[in-house]
Amino acid sequence: MISLTDVRKSYTTGGQALEVLKGINMHIDEGEMVSIMGSSGSGKSTLLNILGILDGYNSGEYHLAGKLIKNLSETKAARLRADSIGFVFQSFNLIGFKSAAENVALPLYYKKISRRKRLAKAHEMLEKVGLADWAHHLPSEMSGGQKQRVAIARALISEPHLILADEPTGALDTATSYQVMDVLRQVNKEGMTVVIVTHEDDISQMTDRCIRLQDGTILSDGRPVEPSAHV
Amino acid sequence: MFDGDKWTEILYSLGQNPLRTCMIVLAVAIGMFILVVLQGMGSGLQTGVESQFADDAVNSIWVRSSRTSMSYGGYQPNRTIQFKEEDHRIAAEEIQGTTVSSGRLQFWGTQVVVGDKYGNYSLRCVDPEHQELERTELAHGRFINDLDLAERRKVLVIGQTIVDEIFGGRNPVGEFMQVWGIQFRVVGTFNDPASRWENRQMYAPITTGQFLFGGNNDDIGMFMLSTSSDELETTVETAEAIDGFLRARHTVHPEDMRGISVGNNNEEFQRYANIILGMKVFLFFIGGLTLVFGIIGVSTIMSIVVKDRTREFGVRKSLGATPASILNLIVMEAVLITLLSGMIGLVAGVLVLELVATFVDHEFFSNPRLSLGVCLLAMAILVVSGIFAGLVPGLRAARIKPVEALKED
Repeated sequence: MISLTDVRKSYTTGGQALEVLKGINMHIDEGEMVSIMGSSGSGKSTLLNILGILDGYNSGEYHLAGKLIKNLSETKAARLRADSIGFVFQSFNLIGFKSAAENVALPLYYKKISRRKRLAKAHEMLEKVGLADWAHHLPSEMSGGQKQRVAIARALISEPHLILADEPTGALDTATSYQVMDVLRQVNKEGMTVVIVTHEDDISQMTDRCIRLQDGTILSDGRPVEPSAHV
Repeated sequence: MFDGDKWTEILYSLGQNPLRTCMIVLAVAIGMFILVVLQGMGSGLQTGVESQFADDAVNSIWVRSSRTSMSYGGYQPNRTIQFKEEDHRIAAEEIQGTTVSSGRLQFWGTQVVVGDKYGNYSLRCVDPEHQELERTELAHGRFINDLDLAERRKVLVIGQTIVDEIFGGRNPVGEFMQVWGIQFRVVGTFNDPASRWENRQMYAPITTGQFLFGGNNDDIGMFMLSTSSDELETTVETAEAIDGFLRARHTVHPEDMRGISVGNNNEEFQRYANIILGMKVFLFFIGGLTLVFGIIGVSTIMSIVVKDRTREFGVRKSLGATPASILNLIVMEAVLITLLSGMIGLVAGVLVLELVATFVDHEFFSNPRLSLGVCLLAMAILVVSGIFAGLVPGLRAARIKPVEALKED
């Protein structure tokens, strides 16, 4: 599903090149649930942006579903995102003036699907995350956990190859975090590839595989470590 | 181009800051209003001036003579210059090469009597072509014709004022009038609503006038000729040629403006037309500038909107929005707001012009209305300027990098 070969990325700030990713090699198969961990500055956000085709990289190769993702035009990148990736953000990023159903339906709008069809699908998705009764509510009327579940429904609606979640529980309390993780696990069980960036061990625990980054390189890649081992 | 979601978004965006939206609507509407009113005033002036000229054929040269004011060629000043048919014929047929020309022998204060009614009017003895040159609009009957001229018939074509005063408004064609005691038959009447003076005129064949009231010779008071579709330059040259010919023939000083004068309606008209055109351009410039300020305002507001919604656009992009779709959204919003506010200004301006048109009707200012074409042009300008207003902020929005937008808080 995902294949990175010696991917490097550097930013230039004030004339100095700062290498953020120093040659990343990794493979994620279809149906995996992977967490990416690392302290701030380890390059995990940059890696997620590259995986999400939100950002480019300097050298190496990134294949998504067998397709080389490199030097794409904005428009092509947008199309690929619409077709193959669903995003879940830490701060939900729902659009404030749209109801839950309209938020969920938005990706299909960019795939030029008729309003009636996409709203029907949105209701279906909301049902899946247990928010069927909240379809007509604005995000401001919902709790954090509910908002994140709406965001997950939105990520799922276009039936992508991959769900990318950037600190999906970062703004939520523990109980709600677990609910959200349950939803993501459920999605994964249905066959969706899920990649979660987090700095919380217990969240990482709920995934099948954990990739740890440090200073732009992969420190470890394997089963998530038991929390007790860390304490 | 428009679908439900886009409307929702645009309306939401406009409703986010009602004061801002109102200010911008006001700016564009005032710009449009001023543009429309100024243009209307300009065209009112134009219509007024054109109606002044509508009376006479614009494409004509008028040749008049009077007493000389300068000594020349051995002659003393104050000599009367008398045109003859030959002057008229050479100027019209040989210099201009037209048959549309007319001599004119005018008798002021001509006494007419019909039954117990009488009055003093002006008698113009002319050629049949005079009708075309003076643009005489017949109300009844016919104008002077060639047979009248050949047979020196005693026939009259009279103006509406005479019809009203002497015949009590009834159709007088076929009735008789005594002109200086001689019986004339009325063959036609005309009405020139633009000029009260014209309606006090009587037309008779020039030969009849020369025979009965002139010295039984071929004297003419003045003459005029058509320059048909000649360019202004050609007309000016022709007028100069006629002027030169007549001055040589009658020995008049080249700079004596009273002895002989060759007027060129075309040139006069062009002069007015140019002044008015200049004024219209100036008015358009001022109105346009005001509109431009409004548009700049829209652009500024749209830039702020884009900044406010940076994160939202980032989210949209991550969900698959193409740069083009974001640009489209912003441009549409700008077009919508300029078009709507422009319409408000347009309608207000047209209403004001209608009001002015109802109350003001002056010789040089009438009917200050906008043509449909101008309104459509204004709409087109609005759409185009809306696109421009949205383009800069829209492109900025389209270039927003999702990564950076999502990082912002």
